[in-house]
Amino acid sequence: MVVAKEICNELSDNDIVKKSIDNIDYFSCLYDRYESMLLRYIKRITLVDDDQAKDILQEAFIKIWINLKNFNPRMKLSSWIYRIVHNETVSFWRKNKSYGKDRKEKLNENLSIDFSIDSSTTENKEQNDRLTHQVLELLPLKYKSVLVLKFMEDMSYQEISDVLRIPEGTVATRINRAKKKFIETTSEKHISFFN
Amino acid sequence: MESEKTIIDKIKEKNIKQKPRWQFVMRKMIIWSMYIICVLIGAISFSIILFSIQQIDFSLVSHMSHSGLEFFLGLLPFFWIIGLLIFLVMGILAFQRSERGYKFTWFRLMCLTTACSILIGTLFFIAGGSQKLETAFASRVNYYESVQQKKMRIWMQPEEGFLSGTIEKVRGDTIKLIDFNNKKWDIDYSDAFIAPILSLENGEQVKLVGHINQENSFYAKEVRPWGGMKNQKKRMGKRKQ
Repeated sequence: MVVAKEICNELSDNDIVKKSIDNIDYFSCLYDRYESMLLRYIKRITLVDDDQAKDILQEAFIKIWINLKNFNPRMKLSSWIYRIVHNETVSFWRKNKSYGKDRKEKLNENLSIDFSIDSSTTENKEQNDRLTHQVLELLPLKYKSVLVLKFMEDMSYQEISDVLRIPEGTVATRINRAKKKFIETTSEKHISFFN
Repeated sequence: MESEKTIIDKIKEKNIKQKPRWQFVMRKMIIWSMYIICVLIGAISFSIILFSIQQIDFSLVSHMSHSGLEFFLGLLPFFWIIGLLIFLVMGILAFQRSERGYKFTWFRLMCLTTACSILIGTLFFIAGGSQKLETAFASRVNYYESVQQKKMRIWMQPEEGFLSGTIEKVRGDTIKLIDFNNKKWDIDYSDAFIAPILSLENGEQVKLVGHINQENSFYAKEVRPWGGMKNQKKRMGKRKQ
């Protein structure tokens, strides 16, 4: 049985974990609370469609359920959940490396065509977002992950460090390199963003 | 609402259980035990390296007819140096698998683990544990050349100018010496430098730098205590008591 949303809303993350350990129904609160942002995150770092993203998320939540007693309340629950989801997504991506390859190649071609011809006439935020996502798709996974976590998920260095299990100093270095790579890619493809 | 229901139903249907807490506790304990064991073995290796270095008379490198580097390399305890490096790396790998291990960079972990091993190893060396352990290890492992054996190999080359053994008798400017191969020698030490800490007495073990005069006769330029200065001070202290 799924716990009512009103009840879930009154509970903190740690309360939900505690209650879920004794009663599986409360686990639905966790899923409900994080589902949309995690699905968005999965789609941001891989080229999967909605159904694939849902499958990945389900598998990740089963892992979260299995390891729930290992959660350390000193850590942010969201970081811990993101870590498991990130690992599940990366392992899916490694198993299916060819998946999305065609789409990536198309993106690559479209970028050249779109922006060598049309970019000077395009002026809107949606276009910028679309461009950003397309450029991100062309970056190596490790760069894409830090950029997505930092600038799209709005995470602090400490949270990113907890998600990716790397030292905070490495997070900072990786973000800098990722930014450079992002700029390099945009200039290679003759892309310009609008303020 | 449907997705939450799906996941709950799936877990119930497949009867997926949470891992018990003791499994996580056990995992943490194994990781920390591995780390501690690695640091301790690293510390033991380091203490034996210190012991080996203590046994080397670096001031005598210049006396060697071979290159000083060859001499130095011949005495270095590579077995323990490699052991130290291996266990440091294993310790770091174990630490990284701990709950918060990822917070540390490789460099910081290397410094931390090395510092722990050096500190414990130095204390072990000061307590005299390294010599006992090394001797015990050498007696049990066939192909291992102990520090003492290595030292004897270096100091039993009279044709290269290095001789060692036990003083049998001291008469005037001559010493009757039995080397570690039980060969008897007449030592002329009339012009030799004698280490101030050393007293030339029967039964004393010494090492000599010089050259062969003739069959069974050795001209000494330097006479030093076999066990090194530190050990000699200890022995002198015991004798006074």
